[in-house]
Amino acid sequence: MSEENVAVEEEEEIGQEDAWTVISSFFEEKGLARQQLDSFNEFIQHTMQEIVDEMSDFTIEPEEQHMPGEEADGKGKKKYKVEFKQIYLSKPMVTEADGMTSTLFPKEARLRNLTYSAPLYIDMAKSTITTTDEIDATTGKYIETIDTEEYPKVFFGKVPIMLRSQYCSLHDHTDKELTELGECPYDEGGYFIINGSEKVLIAQEKMSTNHVYVFEKRQPSKYMWVAECRSSPESGARAASSCMARLCHAPGTKDEAGVISVTIPYIRTEIPLFVVFRALGFVADKDILEHLVYDFEDHEMMQLLRNSIEEAQVIQSQDVALDFIGKRGSAVGVTRPKRIQYAREILQKELLPHVGVNEGCETKKAYFLGYIVNRLLLCALGRKKEDDRDHFGNKRMDLSGPLIAMLFRQLFRKVTKDVRLYSQRCIDSGKDIQLTLAVKAKTITSGLKYSLATGNWGAQGAQDIRAGVSQVLNRLSFSSTLSHLRRLNSPIGREGKLAKPRQLHNSHWGMVCPAETPEGQAVGLVKNLSLMCLVSVGSPSAPLLEFLEEWSMENLEEISPSVIVNATKIFVNGVWVGVHREPAQLVQTLRNLRRKLDITIEVGVVHDIALRELRLYTDYGRCIRPLFIVEDNHLVIKKKDIQMLYEKEITGYTWNDLVATGCIEYVDTEEEETTMIAMTIDELVGQRINAEPGGVKHMYTHCEIHPSMILGICASIIPFPDHNQSPRNTYQSAMGKQAMGMYVTNFQIRMDTLAYVLFYPQKPLVTTRAMEHLHFRELPAGVNVVVGIMCYTGYNQEDSVIMNQSSIDRGLFRSIFYRSFKDEEKKQGSLTKEELERPSRDTTLGMRHGTYDKLDDDGLICPGTRVSGEDIIIGKTSPLPEDDPSAVSKRFTKRDCSTGMKNSETGIIDQVLLTTNDQGLRFVKIRVRSCRTPQVGDKFSSRHGQKGTIGMTYTQEDMPFTCEGIVPDIIVNPHAIPSRMTIGQLVECLMGKVAAMMGKEGDATPFTPVTVESISDMLHMCGYQKRGNEVMYNGHTGRKLEAKIFLGPTYYQRLKHMVDDKIHSRGRGPVQILTRQPMEGRSRDGGLRFGEMERDCIISHGAAAFLKERLMDQSDAYRIHVCETCGLIAVANLKNQTFECCKNPSERTKVVQVMMPYACKLLFQELMSMAVAPRLVT
Amino acid sequence: MSKADGDPRQRRPNIVVQEMTEDTIKFVLTGTDTSIANALRRVIIAEVPTIAIDLVEVIENSSCLCDEFIAHRLGLIPLVSHKAADMEFPYDYAGDDETVTDVPIELRVKCVSDQTEDVTSNDLLINGDYTQYDTVKPVHYRPSGRAFGDATASGAPADGSQADGDKHPILILKLRKNQEINMRCVARKGVGRDHAKWQPVATAVYRFEPEITINEDLMATLTEEEKIKFVESSPTPVFRYNDQTRKVEVNMPESYTYDGECLKWAEDMGKPGLVDIRAKEDTFLFTVESTGALPPETIVLNALKVLDTKLEMTKSELDIVKSEMDTAGVE
Repeated sequence: MSEENVAVEEEEEIGQEDAWTVISSFFEEKGLARQQLDSFNEFIQHTMQEIVDEMSDFTIEPEEQHMPGEEADGKGKKKYKVEFKQIYLSKPMVTEADGMTSTLFPKEARLRNLTYSAPLYIDMAKSTITTTDEIDATTGKYIETIDTEEYPKVFFGKVPIMLRSQYCSLHDHTDKELTELGECPYDEGGYFIINGSEKVLIAQEKMSTNHVYVFEKRQPSKYMWVAECRSSPESGARAASSCMARLCHAPGTKDEAGVISVTIPYIRTEIPLFVVFRALGFVADKDILEHLVYDFEDHEMMQLLRNSIEEAQVIQSQDVALDFIGKRGSAVGVTRPKRIQYAREILQKELLPHVGVNEGCETKKAYFLGYIVNRLLLCALGRKKEDDRDHFGNKRMDLSGPLIAMLFRQLFRKVTKDVRLYSQRCIDSGKDIQLTLAVKAKTITSGLKYSLATGNWGAQGAQDIRAGVSQVLNRLSFSSTLSHLRRLNSPIGREGKLAKPRQLHNSHWGMVCPAETPEGQAVGLVKNLSLMCLVSVGSPSAPLLEFLEEWSMENLEEISPSVIVNATKIFVNGVWVGVHREPAQLVQTLRNLRRKLDITIEVGVVHDIALRELRLYTDYGRCIRPLFIVEDNHLVIKKKDIQMLYEKEITGYTWNDLVATGCIEYVDTEEEETTMIAMTIDELVGQRINAEPGGVKHMYTHCEIHPSMILGICASIIPFPDHNQSPRNTYQSAMGKQAMGMYVTNFQIRMDTLAYVLFYPQKPLVTTRAMEHLHFRELPAGVNVVVGIMCYTGYNQEDSVIMNQSSIDRGLFRSIFYRSFKDEEKKQGSLTKEELERPSRDTTLGMRHGTYDKLDDDGLICPGTRVSGEDIIIGKTSPLPEDDPSAVSKRFTKRDCSTGMKNSETGIIDQVLLTTNDQGLRFVKIRVRSCRTPQVGDKFSSRHGQKGTIGMTYTQEDMPFTCEGIVPDIIVNPHAIPSRMTIGQLVECLMGKVAAMMGKEGDATPFTPVTVESISDMLHMCGYQKRGNEVMYNGHTGRKLEAKIFLGPTYYQRLKHMVDDKIHSRGRGPVQILTRQPMEGRSRDGGLRFGEMERDCIISHGAAAFLKERLMDQSDAYRIHVCETCGLIAVANLKNQTFECCKNPSERTKVVQVMMPYACKLLFQELMSMAVAPRLVT
Repeated sequence: MSKADGDPRQRRPNIVVQEMTEDTIKFVLTGTDTSIANALRRVIIAEVPTIAIDLVEVIENSSCLCDEFIAHRLGLIPLVSHKAADMEFPYDYAGDDETVTDVPIELRVKCVSDQTEDVTSNDLLINGDYTQYDTVKPVHYRPSGRAFGDATASGAPADGSQADGDKHPILILKLRKNQEINMRCVARKGVGRDHAKWQPVATAVYRFEPEITINEDLMATLTEEEKIKFVESSPTPVFRYNDQTRKVEVNMPESYTYDGECLKWAEDMGKPGLVDIRAKEDTFLFTVESTGALPPETIVLNALKVLDTKLEMTKSELDIVKSEMDTAGVE
């Protein structure tokens, strides 16, 4: 190659900046809730119809009815066939109480507490098959006439629709139209609206099915090795059935291998391996061994099977083997042929159903069972390591689509069952079947709504319900919303002590955020998707199988087992479909086909050379991520592609075109293991140019688009996360979700129960590239403040900070807090209903202490009214029944059910919404606003897990100042830094100073070549000390401070924890009814707990009197009278000074007065009720 | 401060104004110590009275910002505060007609156009009844004449003149079509200590004047390159390398921030004592940046007055204490 050519080529190579263009095009195309939308769209477009087709028809015959005088014969007999056909889904609709229907938009659904769902219609048909008198000459049977009646588009229920999915009313609207519809154009959708509340379906992690896992067992177990395959067919219509092969210890030994046995579903005991093979129709030892050990030269492996062969020596025919299995099944006390038939069916239907459940699958099943055992033996011989349970490639995510599909399948089954029952009843009683009446649309409507509303996944009352699948979408800050939409949950018991599933695994690279996980019980079990991670939606395997046939794959049925040794086994979704002798070529072909989109892009091609396997995956739930394709250490993507992306207005070139032209492909976790990925483009270039002759030259297959894409939403907001100690990034990821800012642009027209909005949010001076796509600049959650790291007056010790009061006066970190209250007129019975009105003391029972004066005549408070304490803001009464005994006198006709403010809050009524709900009843929402100015005790945090509360505020003249008159807004204590090692914060501060001086944004993206030195040099040029230190003067005395202070702008977040919401004290107050001890909690004006440890402390002090005062006198002291004779509680009448006990008048004087906790008295009485006599004796 | 004339230790504080513009003043205070300089600084920031909107009555607000938000913004608008001297603090109100504590200001705007409209400090309406207080107005004020719901008037100044490029009115909020605000405000006298809106300055700061002496002998041992490096080691242009004389000269000593970078450089070079920098403990370079409420020189003068009153008050209190002690001593 001439030098000129090289130069031209180098020019064509793209740079890191171009990679960011590619990333931009990815997010433009996909957004951040794409996995949710893709998954739901797949459900609507394909899965729903497939589920209907699975159980599309049933036939019923009238039960034989005894009709006196009529004789039963075959003539005139009728059969009925009911079919479910095409389904139709319309756009989301709302049906008002008066029957009017109209298109529903999310805004209305949210405000009126409606469900954002679309009606589902289905074509049904009923065929009546009548057997006539005539006999068909050819078949010799009665001729049947078929009379079909079509029921087009029968209403079938309502399906909740995911926002911004294809069937959403907001689909394909421009930002302007969205704003006009009252939506936030930055909102990504991906959630549902159920009864007005936004619900996200949390992706559920599970182990992948149809995959053979081999595990080693530890000593107490009687097995050495276990190979396991949880099999579930592609349609997913049934629960996975497990098949295990286990290698036992030889009797009496510790490390010698014994026999291999197999567990089969529904069979109580384990079956010897060779018996299973014989039952499958392979009788000769050689035939069986061919399926287990592909290479007869492998003596070691043959030896391992010796015990198993000998064990099954007595059973030498298929029938005996089947009978052996049948005897151990659940069918007892039946004849031998029945048993054999039963065993045969178990093997056909229940053993490894993913291989096939039809007749004639025995060969394939034998091969697969053989493969399981082969893998077991490989491990037992130490040629392969045990499988990694926590490898992310062995995990599948159930997203909203599959989750709803599961539910829909259950509900559809229920509907068909109900239709069948109804039809049966109709024809049995001789009536005609009215299919429109038979379909209970409510089953699906309320079934889906129930699960989405409560999060209990599975039909109501069913077992194995999973809780917490659907959660209320977090709307605290915009990034917390996005992060919630990308959450993953592993349904492993939180109590489980096993650390393994919680740890970050190598295979999580690029798929799961390494920083973002909660602290505490759920650590590592709740994860978050990385920025560029997508989840496969699944596609049918049939097209792939066709391709394989075409590319000369040898089918399993057609080969002799002896060829397997030298061929590569091909698995499609875990099913062994055949072998191929030129695997490398096939893999190349398949990859090329995928890159040309001839087969779906999300197909996984895994060529395991060591195992001689080619595993192909088309199933749903695999995590996939895009990578640049590298050929011959050159990126396939070239400068011209980037140019086209830049000019997308003209060229229309998008991300999808990059994928279609084979520049980029999606790689799943398992395939990733077979690739060679360059971390950066430079690494690729370096490898090409500097590869010394004789040195090791890496041949890359792929290149990362940018390594910072391994982070999730919350971690992408952290500047310089690569300079922080890793737990700090985790803390910030959790804290970013509590930061106030602007959580959506349409917050003014929403009525969220709780909302926090910052007065003056700012975009950060120091940003990361990923923030652009999170819209953090448009919807920020924090303020750039000048931070000084110094000790000053001592009011910033132990994670407290000093804040500049003058800055607060000028509006720093001011925020608004919104709380919404909701009420509706409920129907009570059919006649009476509650009424919104201002209750009057004359006619209303049970009115509260708070003032009702602020209500208007309609029972609602007026916007702009100042409210506090227990003021009533919604007046509502429910009528009392005429003969209600609780109506003290006749004058009360109603009972009060008004809504009051929270007793510790104050505010101003911001907005009042009066509308009707879906039942046409009046429905009201009231929003109260209160402004929150920062004060001592409020919580703040930088973006590095450095939180602190305000310990003191100083006005400007008291704050330290620099020679330029710069005064810090926040002073943090230097002790917060060394042990926490949040160097990122220092670098952010330094870069912030440069950014502020140069009027530019600073780039703090991780894994970029920016150095502290380069920032320092720029700062020096700006006229500041290069490490950011400045000489400061004490504000009180005016003296120069001895130390130089590290000062600069840092982005700070205001967290939602504010003293005004927590401040609490109580003298006397309400007590619990049962125990008469003080109530618990601030909202009930409760007492402050004097707990066990406090008690221990006082005991050790010996302050007994104080202890008694705390625990009894100030709590639930109670006086009782005790009979000295019997020691039990006496009857005391203090008015007459009469005391009774022990039925003896002379004993009356022997009653004493005792003080004790009321809880103690309660215990005594409870004991007495159980026939235990607690006697107080001195 | 007149009696101890003969005391040789008495200092003669002196102020020399170096630079003065519309909103900043730079002066040198000499002949005193840090405590006095700092007292002056603190008084300038916190105790020179100005006028700011303190009370807002909302009659109508259909804008997208809530009442409290707008009220806070109104409060922060700097008002020209010459009349502050003639006004009383609200808590000094004597209850008669003579003392003036409140200046009413109104804000009434309705947007009728299709575009969003800015409501600025020019839309504030200074009530004509208080003609003698019409100098209480926002800085750079040019009445828009738009108040009273005058639909035809635009946001531009009524007299047709355009505000100077750098003298934009202060934006209060923006209105969309048919949104309206109508507020009655009361401006009051106050001090910066109570709320930052009454601060007359953005910042008031002093620095010590440095005394820089170059050890020429040691400097001569440096190479030319090293000399340039030395000059560059300070982030601010304290030194200059003179090409002609090939010497390092002191360029702008007042720009020295006491960062010690040049000293550190000399130390690292193994030449400690290359330069000697000492802060003059009795010379203060003051910079006062006004918000526009008062001219900078007035702020300083008012501050001195406040300081004087305080000292007078302390003195009179001390006299009382002294006389009490004297009488007690006699008995």
